[in-house]
Amino acid sequence: MSSGGSDLDKAIQQLRACRPIPENQVRELCYKARELLIEEGNVVGVDAPVTICGDIHGQFHDLMELFRVGGDVPDTNYLFMGDFVDRGFYSLESFLLLLCLKVRYPDRITLIRGNHESRQITTVYGFYDECLRKYGSANVWRYCCEVFDYLALGALVTGTATNLEPSEAPFADPSSQASMPGLDQDIEIETLNSNGEIMFRFARNGEVSQPSQAASAPSSSPLVDTPSRTGPSGTGATSSSNGSRGNDGGAVLCVHGGLSPLIDTIDKIRLLDRKQEVPHEGAMCDLLWSDPDEIDGWGLSPRGAGFLFGADIVKCFNHKNDLSLIARAHQLVMEGFKEMFDSTIVTVWSAPNYCYRCGNVAAILELGEDGSNAGFVRRANGDAGRKQNSVLMERGERGREGPGRRYRVFEAAPQDSRGMPAKKPVADYFL
Amino acid sequence: MTSNLNGAPLSTHVPGHDADTSIMLDGFKITTRKLPILKAGPIEEMNKKLGISPPEMIFGDNFMRIEYLQSGWKIDFNAFDALDRVDKTGNAMLKVSYSKEWQQNRSKQFEDIKEVVKPFDWSYSTDYKGTATSSSLSFEPSTKPIPLALLKRPDPILFFDDVMLYEDELADNGIAMLSCKIRVMPARLLLLCRFFMRLDDVVFRIRDTRVYVEFATAEVIREYTAREEKFEVVRKALAETREDVPALMRDPNRLTDLLPIVEKSLERLVLK
Repeated sequence: MSSGGSDLDKAIQQLRACRPIPENQVRELCYKARELLIEEGNVVGVDAPVTICGDIHGQFHDLMELFRVGGDVPDTNYLFMGDFVDRGFYSLESFLLLLCLKVRYPDRITLIRGNHESRQITTVYGFYDECLRKYGSANVWRYCCEVFDYLALGALVTGTATNLEPSEAPFADPSSQASMPGLDQDIEIETLNSNGEIMFRFARNGEVSQPSQAASAPSSSPLVDTPSRTGPSGTGATSSSNGSRGNDGGAVLCVHGGLSPLIDTIDKIRLLDRKQEVPHEGAMCDLLWSDPDEIDGWGLSPRGAGFLFGADIVKCFNHKNDLSLIARAHQLVMEGFKEMFDSTIVTVWSAPNYCYRCGNVAAILELGEDGSNAGFVRRANGDAGRKQNSVLMERGERGREGPGRRYRVFEAAPQDSRGMPAKKPVADYFL
Repeated sequence: MTSNLNGAPLSTHVPGHDADTSIMLDGFKITTRKLPILKAGPIEEMNKKLGISPPEMIFGDNFMRIEYLQSGWKIDFNAFDALDRVDKTGNAMLKVSYSKEWQQNRSKQFEDIKEVVKPFDWSYSTDYKGTATSSSLSFEPSTKPIPLALLKRPDPILFFDDVMLYEDELADNGIAMLSCKIRVMPARLLLLCRFFMRLDDVVFRIRDTRVYVEFATAEVIREYTAREEKFEVVRKALAETREDVPALMRDPNRLTDLLPIVEKSLERLVLK
């Protein structure tokens, strides 16, 4: 199988039909993927436009639906934030297809690691058993786990646009159009259904009121003193030229779980040694496991392991690293996505009807490209100010405007019934 | 508009989750409701009312109900009332298997992060036995067991349902789930509300509430059985079966016999 060759295209075709490829092909694919991934940094640089996806969990038919709704690879540039495997019935086909696409179109798809891309977790939650069942041995599982160790820990999206190019699409509910901002306004958020119809549109500083949680967001923590810095965000580099603000939506950090108390700059993520099994503690573990919560500062999960972080932590981190947004996955949300802390962090969830029984919808997040500088991607930088929020407003700084966000929401694909739990429960003489 | 959700859709209804089914028989009405997990708004509301954060998969609209129409007596099984019986103080809190190791390393690094956020029994262990109407008619302790022989007869099943109330993956440290099953035969019914919890490398728990109704006499028997065993003991026992151990560890039906009973109660009530 040569990358870019017809063998790879054949494998893609076969996997798209939800048929596993032979073991020797998996071995070769995983070898090629490792060679490719080893060249990537812990934080992969990604240029907008990009479509950001959350957990997939082996729901192969829903992954196909995701591609139908979001566009196919390589036409659409994708970023998957991990948890490709476990829980669903087709972890193998889902992960191998994504891996094939990565090897075939390395610049059009980015895969980062989730907490389920781990030997220990996959032996408990399904992927190991699935490999054993489909191949009769654990070899394929072992090859995949070796790839897991090479997956990046995060991605940094730059070159995003502040305002969305409004979709030229009908409204899902035509009567709602009147209450939505008109096209003469700058569009910050658009939500589309799986038919591409507009369900919701939100103007920047528009008449639709700000999120209600903004008022309750804690703002007690003092900001760390931030040196003036004008280089590409996340690099800590400086340069004197800044350029006009234009339509620059700032940089977006994508990680599977969230932040770590050990990590205050993106550069510290870059310094980690990631090529290992996900450890039980430390920065790498936190990035894949932690959750945002309505608390002040850092907290310990009641489970006795794992961190929770509050709005002040996110806002400080974004400020220090010149980010406008953190995108993460890891937690099931009924609506497919959930913005928190004045839209400084968003959870994206891409597994509809999770575990074939939750009845939730899924979402993907599209970030547009800032074309205002004639193709020159002006990186986010320190002088441009910050997202509006009380912490920073107290310091009299201007808020950085986040990227325009288009959410496409979709439901579970109608799937074949092989191995699916029956909708109608089968009566049994339980005691 | 949905501005507080920033465009998250209001209607997230998924086909195949259609609400209520019921059956009437001998003056009894049995109803079950199955809907998707709760949306962000209702979850927040529940969080406030309960004082603990609900499980990851919370089927807060679902329920299973047995009603005796003549007197209005009923017993309900729903997620909210079950979660209200979860320990909210943190006194009964379990720790994940690697907690000690994790905390030792952590406390060296972050002496300032000491606070455990909202401690509660995050395994969502509940001793819920259903929510019965509080009237003059209430359950009394009894010694009369559920007549198993009658339930083992292959009488036709007129109505059957299986309703999930909540489920949590314990942040990938195991599983906790509460679900109800009911089967209605011409002369009697059996409802089983089961809490099943596995905390990897720590413990297994099964807590069963069975409600038996004999229609002709309007007699109701409620039996509660709590079982518990250390993970390692169960693992060793399963290792001898030569079966698919991970699959067995997800199957409470196969685990019950391996977990000794730690608590049992019997109650009885005659409705007419």
